[in-house]
Amino acid sequence: MPRKVSEKTETPQTPVETEVEPVQAPPTPVDGQPPILEADKVDMEQEIKEEENRRKRLLLLLLLLLLLLCCVCGLFFSYMMKPKPLPEMVPVVNVNYPPHYVFSIYGMDQPVGVALSPDGKRVYVAETGGDRLVKVFDRDGNPLFSFAPPNTSSPERSPVYIAVDQSGRVFVTDRLQNSIYVYDADGKYLDTILSTDLSLMEYVSSQLGGIPAGTTFHYSVFENKVHYTVPGQEPKTLPPPEVPQWDPLGIRFDNGGNLFLTDVSGQDHKVHRFMAPGLEIWPTLYFKPEVFSFGKTGQNPGEFLYPNIALVDSQNRLYVADGNNGRISTWDLEGKFLFEFGEGTGDGALSLPRGAFMDERDRLHVVDAVGQNIKVYDVSGPEPVFLFTFGDWGLDDGLFNYPNDIVLDQNGRLYIADRENNRVQVWSY
Amino acid sequence: MKKFLFVFALAVILTLALVGTASANGGPHGGYTATTDACAGCHRAHTAVGPNLLIQTSTYALCMTCHGTAGTGADTNVADGFFLSTRSTSTHGTANTADNAPLLAGGFTNYKGVVVTSSHDATGASGRAAWGNGLTNRGVAVNISDTQFNCASCHDPHGSANYPNYRIVKATVNGAAVAVAQVDEAAKDYDTEGWGAGQSNLCAACHGAYHKTAAGQGSTLDGTTYTHRVDMSYAYGANANPETFGMSGYFLPLAESGTNNTVACQTCHLPHGSSAAMTGIANGGPTGAGTVPGDTTATDSALLRLDNRAVCEVCHQK
Repeated sequence: MPRKVSEKTETPQTPVETEVEPVQAPPTPVDGQPPILEADKVDMEQEIKEEENRRKRLLLLLLLLLLLLCCVCGLFFSYMMKPKPLPEMVPVVNVNYPPHYVFSIYGMDQPVGVALSPDGKRVYVAETGGDRLVKVFDRDGNPLFSFAPPNTSSPERSPVYIAVDQSGRVFVTDRLQNSIYVYDADGKYLDTILSTDLSLMEYVSSQLGGIPAGTTFHYSVFENKVHYTVPGQEPKTLPPPEVPQWDPLGIRFDNGGNLFLTDVSGQDHKVHRFMAPGLEIWPTLYFKPEVFSFGKTGQNPGEFLYPNIALVDSQNRLYVADGNNGRISTWDLEGKFLFEFGEGTGDGALSLPRGAFMDERDRLHVVDAVGQNIKVYDVSGPEPVFLFTFGDWGLDDGLFNYPNDIVLDQNGRLYIADRENNRVQVWSY
Repeated sequence: MKKFLFVFALAVILTLALVGTASANGGPHGGYTATTDACAGCHRAHTAVGPNLLIQTSTYALCMTCHGTAGTGADTNVADGFFLSTRSTSTHGTANTADNAPLLAGGFTNYKGVVVTSSHDATGASGRAAWGNGLTNRGVAVNISDTQFNCASCHDPHGSANYPNYRIVKATVNGAAVAVAQVDEAAKDYDTEGWGAGQSNLCAACHGAYHKTAAGQGSTLDGTTYTHRVDMSYAYGANANPETFGMSGYFLPLAESGTNNTVACQTCHLPHGSSAAMTGIANGGPTGAGTVPGDTTATDSALLRLDNRAVCEVCHQK
């Protein structure tokens, strides 16, 4: 049987085009052309050398460009894999111009509340879509962990606003559970505030005559039961606690550790001020902080219609983002109405104020949810002065789609919950 | 084009002119004065990004700014089908005062703490066909404006001729007149019923083939189907009041409670969405079957108010 290999060896070689090497050719006449002179030969050699040099330079340039391209691509993919924000901006500066967009934190669904740890290194975000968790990020936007009320499924909870006290405890209002859940800085559940003078731990303790060490408990309004488990025993239930109707919503601490809470229950929309001493020693078996409350529902001056965030300035004046009344109302700490602003039209007019934050210079930042922007007022003087607005509606970087809450850190960074864009935007002065 | 622009401009002018005389039930949904600033809450005259001069492209997202699960601007949380605050004291019966004050219309995402098993898609993402929009149960696409179904397809955020009606149901839905009376004006509460005559008209605007009101419809062939009658006064016996007596802890609401005791579409169905569990035969067909009109193997809960076919048993008690 003939081998094909032998056939291959017999195949004629394909002619290969080779470059002519003119410098090596003898100066003999070809087809009647005149012979190449010695001078021409020198010129040709010089030209060839120059050509080679040009090629070398071109090759070097191409290599450099390729290297540059590789660097750019490398940086791009490195950034895409792990986005890094721009370097830290200058601390809060004594200027009154709008901040600029820096970057966005993704990985959440319809966030409405945002807060920071005391050192500003953790960002707590309450999401009302998806799994409805409180999600925690570092200040570069990297996810750390998340948490939720114990023994609840996502349809049973609705975390809205968050406040972190000076010790790092995290307070989260929940609209569906009508409660304030309290966690430690790492998201470990501590207790639930059921009303202005009752916590779940206190209720369980009163029912059981004390709480054995290691006892776990939770309360669900959907089941209308309190569940508890004493170590070594079967899970048991208690009847629901009887508490007056309240609907905790907006929540903020002042620098003194006092807690300001808005309540949109029934016919009385109001503000509660929980005094610091009663909160600092808690959670214990007794929850009896001193609480001062004021306010009623309505549209007249000094009345509330879905107040969201209440906070104080350095002069202990209380500002309430009076949501559906489209204004900020101002009070003293004894509940005396002082003045209001933001109604009407023109610069500084508010449509639907929700979240708010006061910086160290008494500049009040107010999130206008349907205005799709943040309005900033200087409230350090006897009357508020509108400074500027930043933001507009949109889906791109630096644009908002129903923003709802804002918090500032001590370096001039602003974190803004951008609800329908499913992100927290980071801006900086 | 010029004609269209003229009509559009006229509509805008008329709308703005009528704002001062609009009447509804207060809050952002009405009670406007001539110098109201409420318009700016939702509209922009020159910089709107959505139709009807809305500041948003999504009507659903706009409504959810107040009526979403966060409840930052309203107690009517339609995402979870939950009234977030104090319940009304003017109760009509057990069916209307269940624990945790669930809304009588249900929820779009969850209901009674459970993920919905069927719901109307009000996000405006589609202009789907509607069951019973036609002579048979094989639905055809409804004629909602711009073919997208959203909150404003059924509700008028400015109030409507149906006022007083705390649910701000539109006077015209899908081209059909909808007259809804409310018998519980004093209560004005979403967790109580307060339904008057005409509730079925709202559903019939798109699901008209099911709107059979004559006696004996259940035994009268209409086209190719027999249909349960609605808008009928239900003379229940002493122990069969579906609102208060019910069956084994299940109850149903009636329109015009205590007077005509009317069975409406909403007696058995939740307009927003239901988390009722469907098992066994009630599941309807093979797992994974679609839910589009015309597909008789649908597996969802068809907006039914109660698990499986409890809506039948509560009244008929077989």
